[in-house]
Amino acid sequence: MTRREIAQQVVKITARELNMNAADIKETDNFAMELGADSLKSIELVAAFEEEFEVSVIEEEALKVQSVGSAIDFFDKLLNKQ
Amino acid sequence: MRTYVLQNVSQPNLLENIFPYSLPPLIKFEGKIQETIDGKTVEFDPNEVKTRDIHITDTTFRDGQQARPPYKKEHMVKLYEMMSRLGGPNGVIRQSEFFLYTKNDRETIDACRSLNLRFPEITGWIRANKGDFRLVKEMGLKETGMLTSSSDYHIFHKQNQTRQQAMDQYVEVVEAALEAGIRPRCHLEDITRADLPGFVFPFVQRLERLTENQPAHMKVKIRLCDTMGFGLSYPNAAEPRSIPKLIWRLRNECGISPDRLEWHGHNDFHKVHINGASAWIYGLNALNGTLFGFGERCGNPPLEGAIVEYIALKGSLSGINLSVITEMVQYYEKVIGTHLPTNYPFVGKDFNTTRAGIHAGGLRKFEQIYNIFDTTALLNRPPRVSITDKSGTDGIALWVNEFLGLKGDERLSITKVAKIQRWVMDQYEKEGRMSSITDEELEEQVKTNLQDYYEKHRRN
Repeated sequence: MTRREIAQQVVKITARELNMNAADIKETDNFAMELGADSLKSIELVAAFEEEFEVSVIEEEALKVQSVGSAIDFFDKLLNKQ
Repeated sequence: MRTYVLQNVSQPNLLENIFPYSLPPLIKFEGKIQETIDGKTVEFDPNEVKTRDIHITDTTFRDGQQARPPYKKEHMVKLYEMMSRLGGPNGVIRQSEFFLYTKNDRETIDACRSLNLRFPEITGWIRANKGDFRLVKEMGLKETGMLTSSSDYHIFHKQNQTRQQAMDQYVEVVEAALEAGIRPRCHLEDITRADLPGFVFPFVQRLERLTENQPAHMKVKIRLCDTMGFGLSYPNAAEPRSIPKLIWRLRNECGISPDRLEWHGHNDFHKVHINGASAWIYGLNALNGTLFGFGERCGNPPLEGAIVEYIALKGSLSGINLSVITEMVQYYEKVIGTHLPTNYPFVGKDFNTTRAGIHAGGLRKFEQIYNIFDTTALLNRPPRVSITDKSGTDGIALWVNEFLGLKGDERLSITKVAKIQRWVMDQYEKEGRMSSITDEELEEQVKTNLQDYYEKHRRN
């Protein structure tokens, strides 16, 4: 999976989970500050990413991810390392 | 001013010499306790408690039963048997006192004795009435407690006697006990509200003279009854409320050895446990208590609290089987039909249940953060979490992992239980729920959202 494909999926899932338009989501957006994800929503987002990419993440590492761009990088590294 | 410098250590200092986790936290002392008596400083060595033969005596079936509906015979026999296992072969629970007045009382004693248990020894309790010795003798008991009220509140206003009349009557009963070959245990009721130099000490000294030629096993015992819970453990508290002064004078001025002194407290001022434990520290051997603190009005020293205190002071289990406490509380709830407050220490349903999400998070990461000791190993009570809108996803993960019995790397992360947490939050935010989520509801959520795990770990 290329970084571009991963980015598309991350944005699509984020839009679905946070009930937003995908077009409004930028890689620089912070999940909590700009997109309004509270702590439970952040966990649900990670859970949704895990389901979509069919991986299990270390929760402490995943929950350190703050922005859309860093989420894309996180899964790019995880998927393309395997 | 002394300057303290941060020690930025690489490994945590968990202070395991005090908090071993495999035992309740240990109680250590670093010096002597000073007390002022008659203007002079006297010292108590609290470390003496580690070598002295401190023990627990039980009054669940006497004082404990005065404050609740009567137990059935089979209840008392079962509780007596469990008490024996709880205290263990070294007799940490040394004696248990019983009423003798009704046929049921006497049949119960017979049934308990038929179990042939060494500890706790069965003793009696009678009013200060010579005729009542017939009952003690008929039952073949070696020791009995007897009511010898010591304050003027009782002597003047309840018994309508002078101090001399009261003392003479008490001594007459003690003499009758000795003649009958029964060891007398004088219960000095209301001692923390009594005129100590004007009545209590002369009475105790007279008792001591009475038994000075008796063999050790027949010497009079003195129970210090803090009938209204007025006793104070604070150093330099004034008499008659001072526990240290009372014990010091009885030992040093009246010649009563620690093995013949016993503390019996009441909880009217929330001091019942610490007063009993302090009495141990200040130099007497026997702490009288009841299971779960049942007793007149606000209750007596909780026996299970005394047991945990004993372990903390001695630094070892000494043959105690703490898990019997859990059996006992289950017996009270399922058979006797008595329910304890859920937050009651060591036994209440929620004594090691956390509700706050931040605590659940800590518990999930390292159990010792929010559990007082290894309650799973010692009490057969793993720490639990109660699920509400405050318990967080950490709380759900902890509950689910416990429910599924998952250990180590098998344990589910918070992302796996996010759907259940969403359902919980919706209960409160959308449905306006005000009560905790029940275990049954959570099990349904696990079935729905973690079907594979449920099938694998819970189906059978």
